[in-house]
Amino acid sequence: MKAWLMAQKDLRVYFLDRVAVLLGFGLPIALCTVFGFAMGAFSGGGSVGRIELVVEDADRSAGSRALIERLRESDGLRLDLLSEEDLAGGASARGRVAEGDAPAALRIAPGFGAGLDGDGANELPLVLYRDPSKTIEQQILAGNLIPVFFEVLGEGAGKRLTAKVLGALDFPEAGRARAQTILDASWERMRTLVEELEASGVLDDEPEEEDGSAQDAPGDSAADDEGFDFGAKVAELMGLQLEDVTGGDQARKTQKQAQQAQAVAGMAVMMLLFGLIHCGGTLLDERESGTLDRLRLVPGATGAILGGKFLFTWLVGLIQLAVLFAYGKLVFDVPIFRAPLALVVLSAAVAAAVTGFGVLFAVVSRSRKQLEGLATIVVLTMSALGGSWWPLAITPEWYQKLGHLTLNAWAMDGFQGIFWYGQGLGGILPEIGVLLGVALVLSLLAWRLWERSVRA
Amino acid sequence: MISARPAAAPDLRPSRASPSMTPREPGAPVIEARALVRRYGARLAVDDLDLELRAGECLGLLGPNGAGKSTTVRILSTLLAPSGGHVRVLGLDPQAEGERLRARLGVVPQELALYDVLSARQNLEFFGRLQGLTGTLLADAVQQGLALAGLAERAREPVKTFSGGMKRRLNVAIALVHGPELVFLDEPTVGIDPQSRERIFEMVEALRARGVAVVYTSHQLGEVERLCDRIVILDRGRKVAEGTLEELRRHPRVARRGGASLRFAAGAEAARARDLLAERGLTVTLEEDAPDLERIFLDLTGRELRDTEDA
Repeated sequence: MKAWLMAQKDLRVYFLDRVAVLLGFGLPIALCTVFGFAMGAFSGGGSVGRIELVVEDADRSAGSRALIERLRESDGLRLDLLSEEDLAGGASARGRVAEGDAPAALRIAPGFGAGLDGDGANELPLVLYRDPSKTIEQQILAGNLIPVFFEVLGEGAGKRLTAKVLGALDFPEAGRARAQTILDASWERMRTLVEELEASGVLDDEPEEEDGSAQDAPGDSAADDEGFDFGAKVAELMGLQLEDVTGGDQARKTQKQAQQAQAVAGMAVMMLLFGLIHCGGTLLDERESGTLDRLRLVPGATGAILGGKFLFTWLVGLIQLAVLFAYGKLVFDVPIFRAPLALVVLSAAVAAAVTGFGVLFAVVSRSRKQLEGLATIVVLTMSALGGSWWPLAITPEWYQKLGHLTLNAWAMDGFQGIFWYGQGLGGILPEIGVLLGVALVLSLLAWRLWERSVRA
Repeated sequence: MISARPAAAPDLRPSRASPSMTPREPGAPVIEARALVRRYGARLAVDDLDLELRAGECLGLLGPNGAGKSTTVRILSTLLAPSGGHVRVLGLDPQAEGERLRARLGVVPQELALYDVLSARQNLEFFGRLQGLTGTLLADAVQQGLALAGLAERAREPVKTFSGGMKRRLNVAIALVHGPELVFLDEPTVGIDPQSRERIFEMVEALRARGVAVVYTSHQLGEVERLCDRIVILDRGRKVAEGTLEELRRHPRVARRGGASLRFAAGAEAARARDLLAERGLTVTLEEDAPDLERIFLDLTGRELRDTEDA
């Protein structure tokens, strides 16, 4: 009975605490919503994120136009066809990937159309440029390229694929000729054969490694030592030449490093939000301890109090970022020295924007407890939306647009621009501009509310 | 350890941050408030309050919880805008000329408004710097503050290691570091030992001796009785009485007992007088001398509980 009375009292206290209720129920619902939409998109729930594919048509044949049309119809691709003006202006499929504007690009070289009429024995003059840091995008891209190429290349694709698949999979010699015949005649019968072979256990045998065989991804793929690269295999099997492109003058990085850079930057921004909101909260500590009134009694201090909090919070943010990136460099080899000036300026802008958030939250909150509850909800939601937890590129377009309403997305774009694409200050000016704008707007808002509160 | 009584009276020679901080001529008006009003929504926290304080005076501000004492102090010290009325403090308008006025005020808040992780010296230095003190002026002011608070020997220790009394003394010393002309003390002795309270009284007395005007709010009526020249009693935002202790004793609303009164020294002499009078058939009731401030206060403000939070 007493235990029930205790529990009853605690329940009453809990449900009277709005922050606790919001954290206990509101936040999980908000995060479930964000995760649910995002994951639904990944799994093909109808709102799958379209992967941008830049196309450079240097062939200009009926065949290349047919390929482009078919690519355009693909649900999973967002085609960006380089126009003559783009090409005249120096744009290229490769360059777009190298600059980080797109995860992949396809160059249709001269002779593609003519090659379609051949027997499929020769390599097609198609080059697929990939950004190997965007591993998930490459897999989605590969999944979308398969049906397109089969449709456009027709029988030639089948022959190429059959030969390469059979070789790559170390298909039993005895079955190859028969399989070729069957595939040429009917893909339906091929499926039957695979089922038969599966049933007989032949496909279960581990294929032997073959030195220098076609199993190696073309172009000395950086992902060779990172496990199976589905995208590279598909491109190879389809008869495309493959080139992994990374930005700037940096030596080729591995996908693992790219993911680590994403993780370090993502966590840095998220933890910066938590840390700096806490710093901004010292304003509330001052209010609760009575020192705020004492500070307000100092001549000329009204502005200095908020200015001092901003400066303090911003400096802590800069130090926090410096420490996190130094750790990232030491442990994960995050390339923090690729564009030092850009990194310093971007870090300053990110810290300023986050500081604006922290100070604004501190001004509008009535207590530490309220601030911490509010901060947890907003920071986790912004981090999920803004790409701190996963790359925004793999999310639907609407999600990406929504994500860019958060400062996380702009910060992540900037850091990825530096770490992976080697962009200098000029390359990340839009991100810096947006972040400084956010800092300015939030700080001015905080200032207005602060002035109003102290004059009340 | 802090001695029960200082070896010498605290040295309160001001460390002048600027010439404007010279105490005013004795008798010069320091606070002039007429028809002061402050509303919080529909509630009147201060209602038509007139208040006056002159240089060198100590004004006791008394009232039950929610009487409007803290609101009045916040208005007079520039922290809060009045809803109506006219206020001049040290000849300045606290709202329009707050920046100029703040440099001349010292406010001891009821809360321990200190930075716990900083030392006593660092706290004093920080607030001294904010008030514009530098170099030897700052160093002298900090030394004086530490001596005044009896904390010179523990100047480098974090405030969080201090006792309640030490923190209270530092709380007062910080408000005085820049040599203000007018000091507000809002219940400065809450929860401290008699020795620390005595030291704070000495600090206030030394301020008065220097001609600094003091507004002292407290629930400890004995403190006000000891320190203040005049007392203002507030209730529900309004002034219900004002005057010296003697004037308040004669206030018409302070209850008086009937009959004549004879004064005897307390103790055996009074008892003998009672016995002599009783032998002659006179009814005698011995009672305390004049009503003390506590009785005056309760007679004037009533005995009902006031649980309203003072804004």
